[in-house]
Amino acid sequence: MKRIAIDPITRLEGHGKIMIFLNDEGSVDNAFLQIPELRGFEKFVEGLPVEEIPRVVTRICGV
Amino acid sequence: MADIYLWPVAMDFKYSDVRAMKNGSLDAVLFSGGVRNSENEEIAKLLREKAKVMIALGACAQGGGVPGLANMYTREEIMRRVYIESESTENKDGIVPLEHSTAGPGYDLELPRLYNVVKTLSQVVDVDYTIPGCPPASMQIYSALGLIWDDMLPKKGAVIGAGDRALCEECPRKKSEKTITHIYRTHEKLPDAETCFLEQGFICLGPATRSGCGSRCIKSWTPCRGCYGPLDDVADQGIKMLSALASVIEPKEEAAINAVLDSVVDPLRTFHRFSLASSMLRRRRE
Repeated sequence: MKRIAIDPITRLEGHGKIMIFLNDEGSVDNAFLQIPELRGFEKFVEGLPVEEIPRVVTRICGV
Repeated sequence: MADIYLWPVAMDFKYSDVRAMKNGSLDAVLFSGGVRNSENEEIAKLLREKAKVMIALGACAQGGGVPGLANMYTREEIMRRVYIESESTENKDGIVPLEHSTAGPGYDLELPRLYNVVKTLSQVVDVDYTIPGCPPASMQIYSALGLIWDDMLPKKGAVIGAGDRALCEECPRKKSEKTITHIYRTHEKLPDAETCFLEQGFICLGPATRSGCGSRCIKSWTPCRGCYGPLDDVADQGIKMLSALASVIEPKEEAAINAVLDSVVDPLRTFHRFSLASSMLRRRRE
């Protein structure tokens, strides 16, 4: 199956990739949006003093 | 005049276009972000090959930044929290992203490999210069670009687009002889408008942090957390701050010093807020 990769998705802050699968007629058979990054804010803010949270999570950036 | 070739947030240009370029054909690369997965490393190495000058842009590329705090945990702990245990997640089957997966016959999908540790840019490729900050002040990026245009870049390895003294030297607050007897959290006491935060007992990383940010946080009544990184010849910004703090605690007796240091609620994420990945501590031991 023919594949088209759009990598990276541009004009957004953050990372993304689109995989498009074409069938024998050359039409789109299926497409997937992939998010290739993970930083783990959900984990490393645990137990952080609450007054520090606003200045940490603002570093998530964009989107 | 300069041409921009790759700037994903602002314009459309693909990695395949960069791969097709000749090595050394980019006058400068400003690389933001730490190295968290195999794709980040691959792109860092690709851009290093294409760049005459490789510049680490921002606290993440320099010291790991806030995302470097993930080095307190293992990859598995992070994946479990994010994809399975978080309160807003419904994932009864415990599905987590895989490097290689299939969404049905013929639909093979690949994702970058998440590393067990966040690395800084210089831990992966040769870095020529660093522009610090989270975020770097825009005028400082502009002045650093001016050094490239004017062919005035300093010695390799230098920090550009920043000062060469401690933040305290440019901080507008009044300083006198520091004596600290107690550490306060921001809800415990209202700081006065004019005096050094540290003298008032609020942790401020100014003594261990490079100047050049314009004291943005301090002018917003917020003590420094060190995003402009360490000064030259400082191996570990967090430990430098701990040393600076210990030297101004009164009375100068071990028990008293330990008691005051014990009152720092979250020392690791306070002293190494932006620099854990580049510090001597670097990561959790498994």
